[in-house]
Amino acid sequence: MRMMTSGRGFVDGTPLCRCVGRALAVLLVLLLVPKVGASTDAAVSVLYAGSLAAVMENGVGPAFVRATAISYQGEAQGSLGGARMIHDHLRSPDVYISADPLVNQKVLMGPENGNLVRWYMTVAASQLVLGYNPTSKFAAKFGDVRAGKLSWYELLETPGLRFGRGDPSIDPKGYRTLFLFDLAGKFYHRPEIPRLLGEPLNPAQVFPEVVLLARLESGEFDAGIFYKHEAVAHKLPFLTLPPEINLGDPRFAASYAQESYDTKTGEHVIGAPILFTITIPETVHRRAAALAFVKFLLSSDQLLTGFGFSTAAHKVGGDAAQVPQELCDFNTGAFQP
Amino acid sequence: MTPYLNRPANRHVNSLLWIFGFLGLLLLLDLVLPIANLFFTSNWTAASAALRQPEALQALKVSLRSSGIAILTMTLLGVPLGYLLARAKLPFQRFWIALVFLPMVVPDLAGGILLLRLFGPYGPIGHPFDARNIALTNNLFGIVLVQMFVSAPFVVASSLAGFSSVDSELESAAGTLGDSAWQVFCRVSLPLAWPGIFIGIILAWIRALGEFGATLVMAYNPHTLPVFLWVKFESEGLAGAQPIALCLVLLAVIAAGAAMNLNRFTGAADVLAPVGKATKWEN
Repeated sequence: MRMMTSGRGFVDGTPLCRCVGRALAVLLVLLLVPKVGASTDAAVSVLYAGSLAAVMENGVGPAFVRATAISYQGEAQGSLGGARMIHDHLRSPDVYISADPLVNQKVLMGPENGNLVRWYMTVAASQLVLGYNPTSKFAAKFGDVRAGKLSWYELLETPGLRFGRGDPSIDPKGYRTLFLFDLAGKFYHRPEIPRLLGEPLNPAQVFPEVVLLARLESGEFDAGIFYKHEAVAHKLPFLTLPPEINLGDPRFAASYAQESYDTKTGEHVIGAPILFTITIPETVHRRAAALAFVKFLLSSDQLLTGFGFSTAAHKVGGDAAQVPQELCDFNTGAFQP
Repeated sequence: MTPYLNRPANRHVNSLLWIFGFLGLLLLLDLVLPIANLFFTSNWTAASAALRQPEALQALKVSLRSSGIAILTMTLLGVPLGYLLARAKLPFQRFWIALVFLPMVVPDLAGGILLLRLFGPYGPIGHPFDARNIALTNNLFGIVLVQMFVSAPFVVASSLAGFSSVDSELESAAGTLGDSAWQVFCRVSLPLAWPGIFIGIILAWIRALGEFGATLVMAYNPHTLPVFLWVKFESEGLAGAQPIALCLVLLAVIAAGAAMNLNRFTGAADVLAPVGKATKWEN
């Protein structure tokens, strides 16, 4: 630095040069110092499914920091996308939360995936709901559905109503929506219900989850299929759907399982209750902080129900022997996907 | 070393160049290494197979078509605007110039939301179109709107700089020789300013081609190459995304390379260079 600002070989020290040089040096130091400080901090890094963003950043994260004084660093990624990033060594979180137990199994577990995850625990359940924009020009019709004067699928048949859903090729909610409509066709004995969706990848309906929420909130869409916790977190009014079709009730697991979807990448996905799982992958750097976080989440049922989740028994998938000793008390049995 | 030490002037220049060279190299590491790494670690046979998939070709087609339309429109509208800002004595001149640069500092995602609220089916502009069953989002038109939003500043800024650098005495000389205002623009101002404008257009094209954040919000379908890259990354991870990333980088390299070479052949600027200030565009 001395050489740059006042060294005679380089700049012969005109006042302007000296001034600029010093200012740059000070700026560099100011920008670098907080970064160095942050890296020594033992924050727990949590990679989680995108639909949990509001719950994690406004609910669980701050509550965890208050309860344990450990700092928290969350990152939202698509449920599948996040797992792929761990698999490809692009992320090395201390904790990973998935919106689908199968994602653990397909992308992160087993020798073919480098055994990056050996166990996972179910945390909470959610269900699909029909969220809508209260300022939509069809808002009165949503009121009719609430009052029982109209069925939700008749509402969706309204000409001009804009309906959106997740993309089945990148988002579990996308194919779960396909299952929902198929189940509804059978449940109401109305085979035309699934046809409301058009093609699985119908470009007029299919959007990434964040974009869909933004479109609905900005009034560009009238209605969409969301997880209940998303609608609650975004203060979106919603219509609940019967448990036989909303994928939220483990009692109907057998009938959910009759639905399936083949992704473009050749994966065969089968319908199942919507469950969120948590694990400490082998990429963990701060094990104690990770354990504290998992413990905290597994004992925060009240917080989670406040955000629209339903409680779920904490069952273990994968190798139960690998579950850390500190978490064994939470284990209520084996999870069969 | 000793001879240099005996010549202070020479030593002065050399140490300056060495240090600047070192600083530049540090920056180049960040710019070039990721791209070099991509080229060296890519599986080229897998990449060419992935690029022949119909979806990839479709995305490439959408990207080329939309950026082509965007560039033509931006040139037709942006070059005159640049001239206007450089030559006309507008009230609040600085305000208008600042306005043109504004999209450059708006984050992509925010830009997408702004556009969506205006051109979406319930937006003030989108709504009347929507009533006639014309959608302005989620189609090629939406993509072009986004690309113009993010990259037009490059065209206008380079035109503004280009026209400002033209010696206005040359223009008035052409005027006194009997050329009309149109003729002066076409024969003097535009050819002299063109090399700079051309670089601006190429930069705008590269920016349009790579646009992602705002496009995702404004027009998820049909997928442009960057959106398709993201979909691949989300669904298949690195293995699925790498070939598309390679393709995008190659396109940008081709565009930049073409710009460097084409600029040597662009028109009358070279003939007039010794007279006007256009010399500074050479090298």
